[in-house]
Amino acid sequence: MNIKKTKTGNELTIALSGRLDTSTAPLLEQELQNCLTGVESLIFDLASLEYISSAGLRVLLYAQKVMSRQGKMTVRGANDMIMEVFDITGFVDILTIE
Amino acid sequence: MGTYLNMLPVTAASVIVTAGLYLAEKKTPFGTWKPRVRQWICGVIFGILAICGTEFGADAEGITLNVSTAPPLCAGLIFGAPAGIISGVIGGVERYFATFWGAGYYGRFAGTFSILFAGLAAAGMRRFMFDDKKPAWYYGLFGGIIAEVVDMLILLLSRIDDIRSAFHMVEFGTLPLVLMNGATVMFALLAVSAIGKPARKKKKNREQLAHAFQKWLLVCVTLAFLATGVFTFWIEDGISRSQNESVLRLNLFDVQKDIEEASDKNLLEIARRVKDWMEQKETDKDMDFRDMADVASSFGVAEVDIIDERGIITASNRDGVIGYDMAASEQSAAFLVLLNGEQEYVQRYQPSGQDSSIYRKYAGIALEEGGFLQVGYDAERFQADIDEQVSYAANNRHVGEKGYVIICDEDWTVVSDTHDHKGRDLSDTGYRLDEDNTPQLSAFEAEVCGQDSLCMYLKSEGYYIIAVLPEKEAVFARDVSIYLSIFMEIIIFTVLFILIYILTRNLIVDNIHKINRSLTLITKGNLDVEVDVRSNEEFASLADGINSTVHTLKCYIKEAEARIDKELALARDIQRSALPSVFPPYPGRSEFDIWAGMRPAKEVGGDFYDFYMLGENRLVFLVADVSGKGIPAAMFMMTAKTQIKSLTETGISVEEVLTEANEQLCANNDAGMFVTAWMGILDLETGKVEYGNAGHNPPLLRRADGSYEYLKSRSGLVLAGMEGIRYRKNELTLRAGDVIYLYTDGVTEATNAGKELYGEERLINRLDQIPAENPEAICRGVMRDVDDFVGDAPQFDDITMLCLKYRGCGAEITVDAAMDQIDRVLRFVDGQLKAAECPPKTAAQIDMAVDEILSNIIRYAYGDGSGKATVRVEITQQPSAVLTFIDRGSPFNPLEKEDPDVTIPAKERQIGGLGIFLVKNTMDEVDYEYREGANRLRIVKKWQ
Repeated sequence: MNIKKTKTGNELTIALSGRLDTSTAPLLEQELQNCLTGVESLIFDLASLEYISSAGLRVLLYAQKVMSRQGKMTVRGANDMIMEVFDITGFVDILTIE
Repeated sequence: MGTYLNMLPVTAASVIVTAGLYLAEKKTPFGTWKPRVRQWICGVIFGILAICGTEFGADAEGITLNVSTAPPLCAGLIFGAPAGIISGVIGGVERYFATFWGAGYYGRFAGTFSILFAGLAAAGMRRFMFDDKKPAWYYGLFGGIIAEVVDMLILLLSRIDDIRSAFHMVEFGTLPLVLMNGATVMFALLAVSAIGKPARKKKKNREQLAHAFQKWLLVCVTLAFLATGVFTFWIEDGISRSQNESVLRLNLFDVQKDIEEASDKNLLEIARRVKDWMEQKETDKDMDFRDMADVASSFGVAEVDIIDERGIITASNRDGVIGYDMAASEQSAAFLVLLNGEQEYVQRYQPSGQDSSIYRKYAGIALEEGGFLQVGYDAERFQADIDEQVSYAANNRHVGEKGYVIICDEDWTVVSDTHDHKGRDLSDTGYRLDEDNTPQLSAFEAEVCGQDSLCMYLKSEGYYIIAVLPEKEAVFARDVSIYLSIFMEIIIFTVLFILIYILTRNLIVDNIHKINRSLTLITKGNLDVEVDVRSNEEFASLADGINSTVHTLKCYIKEAEARIDKELALARDIQRSALPSVFPPYPGRSEFDIWAGMRPAKEVGGDFYDFYMLGENRLVFLVADVSGKGIPAAMFMMTAKTQIKSLTETGISVEEVLTEANEQLCANNDAGMFVTAWMGILDLETGKVEYGNAGHNPPLLRRADGSYEYLKSRSGLVLAGMEGIRYRKNELTLRAGDVIYLYTDGVTEATNAGKELYGEERLINRLDQIPAENPEAICRGVMRDVDDFVGDAPQFDDITMLCLKYRGCGAEITVDAAMDQIDRVLRFVDGQLKAAECPPKTAAQIDMAVDEILSNIIRYAYGDGSGKATVRVEITQQPSAVLTFIDRGSPFNPLEKEDPDVTIPAKERQIGGLGIFLVKNTMDEVDYEYREGANRLRIVKKWQ
C-alpha cells in the first residue's frame, strides 16, 4: 500500500493505493496518529485502493472519530467493492462519502 | 417313296442352311453385325432356297411337287420377322415368273400365294405369338403343314373351273408336300435348339400359364379338328351316297319307263289289231273257245278275252275262265275302267289276277257294243318285239358322267350295255346278280367291267335294269368336298388357335405379368406402387383389391410405426434419463471435470456410461456395452446399470462390484446377453484410481505432459458371460491435468460408405489434436470427427464415450500462522484466481475474505503458541472459487459469533467482529467444520 499525503493549509488529502488490509492497516493508523494534528478537513482519496478489509475499516473509523472532534472527514473515489463493504457494514451512514 | 427322296435335297438343304446360319450367328462375328444386315442376308439366302424348291420339284403322278414354303417359314420363325418376309417375297415373286421358264402354270397363283403367305405368316407368328423368340419344334411342324394346306386350298379354289385336274394334283400332292414341308421346318427348329443352348434348362418347375394354355389349346384344337373332320366325312359320305343312289334310281326309273312305254305301245297295238280283225270278221259276240284260240295264235298272244258290260268274261281262248268276274282280283279289276268310258287301258307286266303263278302283261280296248276286249301276252313275246327299243334306251343313257346302264333279260342275256356285252351273259361283265339277296332299288358295291362301282337294279317288264356308277366318280364329289372342308377347317382352327392364343395372352397373361411386376415391387417394400390393369372388369377388380389391400397395409404399418415410434421415443427418454446428463454434474467440485455422451444406433441403445459420487471424496465412473442393440439391449443395460450402481454404493471395492454384478446378471440372463464394462473409482484427494475391466476395450490415458496411450490391463470375462468369475483390481494414480477417455467400440468400429473402420489409430491421432482442457470439447471433437468420417453411411452401433479430467485436489499453501505470511498467501491465492480468469472485483472480495479469515486464525487459533495455517484453493466448473482454511488450533467456529450492529453511529461503534460479518456477506457460501483435529472454514465465491 502506498500512502500519499498532500497538505494544503489545514486540509489534508491522503491518497491510498493498493490494499488496505490487516497487514497495511497498522501503517496507515501510525501515519494518521502523526499527522492529524491541526487538520480540520481530512480527505481520503480511495480511487486507487483495490480493497479494504475490516482492519482498514477500523482505521477509517478511528480517523472518523478523531476528525469528528476537530473538523470533518470525507471519503471519495471508492470503487464498487469498497462501496459494497461500506454498505454491508453500515459505514455509509458513518462516513461522508463523495 | 421315290417322291419323298426326290424332295429330300431341298428339304435337307433348308435344315443344313438353317443350322449353319444359326451357328454363324452364335459363334462368329456374323452375330455382331447390324441386325438389319443379318435379316437381309438370311432373307435372301432363304429366298434362294425357296427358289430352289420351286425349280427342283419332284415329279410324281404327272404333277410336280415343290418344297418352297418351308424356307420362308424357317427364315421367319428362326431368324426373325424381316427375314421371313424378305424370303417370302423373293420366293413368291420368283414362283410367279418361273412359269416363263418351265414351272407349272397350273399352280402359279397358288404357289406364289403360299410362298408369300408362308413368309408373312412366319413373320407374324414370330412377332405376335412367340415374342420374337424361336418357337418349339411342333409349331414348326404345324406351320409347315398349314402353309402347304393353304397352298392346296388356293390351288383348289383357283381352279374350281377345272376341278378334276386340280383335285388330282391335290389328291396326290397333299400328303408328300404337307409331310415334307412340316418335317423341314420341324427338323430345322430341332437342329437349332440342339445347337443353341443345350444347357438351358428352366429352373422353374412350374409351367408358365401361357405355355400350358398354348399346349392345351393346341390339344383341344387338334381334337376339335379331328372330331369335325370325322363328322364332315360322315356327313359328306352320307350326302354323296344318297345323291349317288338317287342318280342311280332316277336312271333306273327312266329306263323302266322307256321299256314300259315301248311294251305298252306294243301291246295296245296288238290289242287294236285283234279288235280290228275281229270286227272285220264280223263275228258274233258269242265266240266260242276255238275261235278265240285261233285269234290268240294268229296274233301270237297268250290270252284273248271278251268281257261283257257286267265285267264277266264271256269268251276266252283259255279254258275255265268263262264267267270269271273281273272285279275278283285287283289286277283284273283295274280293267273295269273300260266299262266306265275309258277306251284303252294297258297294264305293266305282273302276275295275273286269276293265277298268280303266271306273269303276264295285259291290254284292254273298249268295244262299241259294250264290254271290252282284253289281250295278254308273255315276256318272251313282247321282249322280241321291243328289244331294239330297250337297247336304244340303255345305250343312250349316262349315269352321272361315266356311269352306264346294263339291261338283261330274265335268263341273264345282256340286251343292252355300253361295253359290247350285248347278247352275252351278264357274268361276262364280271358281275353276277344275286337276285335273292339283293333288294331292288338299293345301292350296292360291285366290280363291274373291271371297275369298283356303285350299282342298283330294278326289274321291269321281265328285264333286269342295272345302273352302274364307277366308284371313282361316285366319291369324287365327296372327296373334293371333304378335302375342301378339311383344308378350310385346318385354316379356320389355326386362325382360331392363333386368335385365342393372342387374345388370351393380351387379356390374361400380359395382365398377370403386369400385376406380378407390380407385386414384386410391392413385396420388395415399395408400397407406393399401384397395380394398374384396367383392360377388363375382372382384372380391374383384382387390381383394385390389391391396391386397397396395399393401402390398408400401408395405413396399418403407418399406425404401427407411429405407435412404435411413440413407444421408442418414450423408451429413449427413459434410457436417456437413466444416464446422468446434466453437465457439469458437480459444479461445486473442483477436483475433476467429466463429460459423457451416448448416441444409440437405434432409438434405444445397449451402451451406457455412468458416474456418481461415492461419499465426498470418491468418484465412480464407468462405460459398458451390452451385446446386441435395440430394446432387449436397452433393458439389459438398465438392469446392469442399476445392479452395478447399487453394488457400488454398498462400499465394496471395484473388483467385488464386478464379481458380484456378474453373479447377479448371470442369474437373470435367459436371453443370453452379456455386458462389457470398464469401471473405475477415483479418490479425488489422492488421484488414485482403482479400476476393473470386464471384457471392455481399454480406455485412453493422457498424462498432463504427454499424449494419449492405451491403458492396458488384464481384462476379465464379460459380465453375465459365466458364473463364478473373479475380477481383478488394477490401480493407477492420476495427477492433476491427466485425462482419461473411455469409449465403446461403436467409436472405433464406426464404418464409412467404403466399409472402412474409424479405427484406434485415427482415434488417438484425433485425440492428440484436441486441447486436453475440457472433457466436453474432447468428446464432441471426437464425435464430430467420427461423423465426418462416416458421412452418409448408417450408424450400426451405439457410440458412447466418457472423458474425465482430473484437476487434482486443488492448490494449497501452508504457512506459519503469522501476520507476515498473509501477503504470501494472498499472492498465492491471487495467482490461482488469475489463472482461473476470476474478475478483479471478485478477486478483491476473495482477497479480503482471505485477509479476514487468515488474520483471525493468526490472532486467535493458537493462542500464544504458534502453528500452521493451510489455505486450499479450488476452482470449480461453476465457475467459482472454493477456499478452505485449515488450522489445527483450538476448535472455534467463527460463524457462531453474533453479527455486529451496523446501524449504530460511529462514536458508539465497537471495532471488531466486522471481518467474519464481511466474509459472510460477500461470499456465496461459508461453512465450518471441525474434522480430524482441524478447523476447516470453507468459503465459496462464484462469478459469472
